[in-house]
Amino acid sequence: MSILSWLVLVPAVSAVFMMLLPERRKELVQPLGLILSVMPVPIALYLFQKFERGTAEFQFVEKVDWIPQLGVSWHLGVDGISLLLVVLTTILVPIALAASTGITDRVRMFMAMTLLLEAGLIGVFLALDLFLFFVFFEVILVPMAFIIGIWGSENRIYAAVKFFLYTALGSAMMLAGIIALAFIHRSQFGALSFDYTELLQLSLTGTQQAWLFVAFALAFAIKVPMFPLHTWLPDAHVQAPTAGSVLLAGVLLKMGTYGFLRFNLPLFPEASVDFIPVMAVLAVVGIVYGAIVAIVQSDLKKLVAYSSVSHMGFIVLGVFALTSQGLQGGVIQMVNHGLTTGALFLLVGMMYERRHTKEIRAYGGVAKSMPIFAGVFLLVAFASIGLPGLNGFIGEFLILIGSYATLPVYAIVAASGVILAAIYLLWAYERVFTGPITIPENEALKDLSLRETLIFVPLVALIIVLGVYPKFALDVIEPSTDAVLERVETTTGFVVPDLPSELAQFNEGGHE
Amino acid sequence: MNGASYLAILPEIILIAGAVIVLMVDVFADPEKQVLGRITAAIYLAVGVATWMQWDRLSTDGQSFGWGGTIVLSHSAVAFRAILLIVAVMGTATAWRMLVELNRRTAEGISLLLVATSGFMFMGASVDLVMIFVALEIGSIALYVLAGIVRQSAAADEAAMKYFLLGAFASAIFIYGGALTFAGTGSTNLLEVRAFFQQFQVLSPAVILIGMTLLIVGMSFKVTAAPFHSWAPDVYQGAPSGVVGFMAASAKVGGFAALMTILIGGFERYAAEWADAIAIIAAVSVVLGTLLAIQQTDVRRMLAYSGVAHAGFILTGLTAVGDGRTGIIFYLATYTVMLVASFAAVTVLSGPSSAGSAFDDYRGLGRRSPFTAAVITVLMLGMSGMPLTTGFIGKFQVFSASWDAGFEWLVITGLIASVAAFYFYLRLVVLMYFQSDDDGDVEEIAVDRPLRWVLGFAGIATVVFGLFPSPILDLVSNALGG
Repeated sequence: MSILSWLVLVPAVSAVFMMLLPERRKELVQPLGLILSVMPVPIALYLFQKFERGTAEFQFVEKVDWIPQLGVSWHLGVDGISLLLVVLTTILVPIALAASTGITDRVRMFMAMTLLLEAGLIGVFLALDLFLFFVFFEVILVPMAFIIGIWGSENRIYAAVKFFLYTALGSAMMLAGIIALAFIHRSQFGALSFDYTELLQLSLTGTQQAWLFVAFALAFAIKVPMFPLHTWLPDAHVQAPTAGSVLLAGVLLKMGTYGFLRFNLPLFPEASVDFIPVMAVLAVVGIVYGAIVAIVQSDLKKLVAYSSVSHMGFIVLGVFALTSQGLQGGVIQMVNHGLTTGALFLLVGMMYERRHTKEIRAYGGVAKSMPIFAGVFLLVAFASIGLPGLNGFIGEFLILIGSYATLPVYAIVAASGVILAAIYLLWAYERVFTGPITIPENEALKDLSLRETLIFVPLVALIIVLGVYPKFALDVIEPSTDAVLERVETTTGFVVPDLPSELAQFNEGGHE
Repeated sequence: MNGASYLAILPEIILIAGAVIVLMVDVFADPEKQVLGRITAAIYLAVGVATWMQWDRLSTDGQSFGWGGTIVLSHSAVAFRAILLIVAVMGTATAWRMLVELNRRTAEGISLLLVATSGFMFMGASVDLVMIFVALEIGSIALYVLAGIVRQSAAADEAAMKYFLLGAFASAIFIYGGALTFAGTGSTNLLEVRAFFQQFQVLSPAVILIGMTLLIVGMSFKVTAAPFHSWAPDVYQGAPSGVVGFMAASAKVGGFAALMTILIGGFERYAAEWADAIAIIAAVSVVLGTLLAIQQTDVRRMLAYSGVAHAGFILTGLTAVGDGRTGIIFYLATYTVMLVASFAAVTVLSGPSSAGSAFDDYRGLGRRSPFTAAVITVLMLGMSGMPLTTGFIGKFQVFSASWDAGFEWLVITGLIASVAAFYFYLRLVVLMYFQSDDDGDVEEIAVDRPLRWVLGFAGIATVVFGLFPSPILDLVSNALGG
């Protein structure tokens, strides 16, 4: 069995194991779950280490017949687009679990659901069979809905059901698209196939591409979520427990942008080019709208949730800019957003644990009582805004340059999102952390404990490393994103502009 | 008459003989309930062996006809028998507590279950409209009586009466369709009907088409396809929960088996006509079933309406004519298991003889009976078509077959309805897990051993064959190819 199967199966088997643990040994559940959740991390790091740079080929490919009667196989592979997302997932899950000591009810099930979610997420990023991809894509709904619905706050049931139905609707349309693709494959090659690499050989007409693009895009746009399909997100985020929010924002949303990059662009290149205006408009509207709505939030968690809408818009814009920099920026920004927004949700969650409120008004001046906490918050906020030297800058910079080349107007409007991000995050920081303490309860707030500090160590480290030396990530990403672009270029009349050489050097030499 | 002819109906012979034996033993020996249970188990075991013998004979000799060409010994007939046997075993186990509570009438209940099973098994093996009708009545009449077997409750009596009247009405429509077919083609034997269409050009097919339509309508009643479903919710709600799962599942298997024989076997010449009609019935069933299921406050009514939607999904597979058969059989095999088990789960909460089971009863079941709640969750996810369950594989097959046959609109309707259906399937899950009012110690619900087996089997089968459907698919496609 290849290493990729291990990555999917280890969390899945761990989840089943957690479910079967005897109820009596409650004190064992939390540490054991944490240990189990760490197990995929070394596997993912080993994968990152062994991953061959400079090629766009899928690596560590494993293909075994699964349901041969339907032409379905267990086909996994990793390339530069998925590698970092897999690593990110494995890192975020133990962090999310470590931050969930507040959960005391049905811990066994909580651990199991989170691990199941992890298995599904890794599966989504590794699947190279569309049937298999759909299975993972859909199965994720169940543990996520449970996490929101059982351990969420007051309005959790509404949020869980809304999340479930919304995203299920999108994937239903995608399923129709997948079935259609399989039959088109049969009409052209004589056999049903869901295999990604085989489906890439299809020659689709313009109409077919357009319909299929829409079917797939709907599923992914809901997941991202793109304006105007984003309304499930604030509910889900606000109601979800911290771990749920971290994984939702950190990884789940990326399934959408990943889907665009992995499936829409290579499978339906012509339609992708045709749909650029639509996608770009929606992306930019999302950027600005998300940011403006974030500014007016009085609830810190909602603020972070809407900031996600804005940031995810950047990624979509980068992807549909169809330039080398745009795509690379999109991929690395997926990782960045996972790190920074994950960290922000953790911080908000920890504040909630201390004060049992997420209202910005309830705080004020708390930097005095929790200086380290405030420092971490500020650093993460800077990363999220895109301060040079931190990871967010690399992603947004690449996306803006990349999209300026093909979509200049959109890029200029999108750039306002960076300024708006500074407004909502720094203003929130000011209101929560700076000034005198006005509410007495805030005086005795505890600063980060050792456990909490340890949780942030890997996140902050990655935020800084990716900001200072993005080359190690971009080296992985570039060949694969360029291959996508090349495919778009060769199959359509679209010309990917060559950016000036100084900018190219930015990629080569990193940001020094 | 030769050995093969008897072999062709051996399972049914065993069932009928078994029903008589159970009654006789009861009259002459007045045995313990346990003894009756063992006898029933032995009968099912014998039926299983007989079914296996049929399969074995088929693999050497191939398909054969007997009893004047009315009964076929074919792989698909054996497949339906196998499904019905599983349904019957699960159904009897579910009904066991109810049967025991019937006291003096336990044996009656058991023999009715056996007779009903034999009727629907006949239905799957019949290739003559008259024979199908007789088989249908054997099964249905036994079910009418079962629906009313608990005499204490007025709701059950109402359900039984309603079931009987509407069932008889449907049977009448069906036999009228058979008569018109005979008028148009000169035969009630579907093989001869098929041959007739191959030999002759039918210039004015009105009589034949009307006959065919009536046959479809009659069977639509039996499989609870909309708009012929209206009896189902009342009957499912009123009849004792111990037998409802069996009633619903066995009638569906028999009905769909007959529909496939009639339409694909006899009327394939008019496939273009009936496929459109079936597509419309399927769409109406799926949409109406889903919309009405959403509004229910009673789990059994919800399951009844969801059954309407499932009938629509299975009919969706039928629009692909011959290509849909694998999907239909897979769907029937897996859905009926989930259906019987769902009613077994209802029985856990509301007792085997009762009528009605409100949604609210399921509140906090995740704490009160983690096992039952977990199985219900699997069953609901399975019925909703979530991947990694058999429900998804079944739906996937009927959808792709129908898509291939050019009914894209039907598939998209079905997909959207499936999303809406998540709402009511999830509602049980929400009640069981998300809404637990008290964190203190709660009373655990005891689950009888037979019910535990039924639930455990269904839960495991739904997941295992959802993960690895290949063995069943192989079995089914070999059967259809052979």
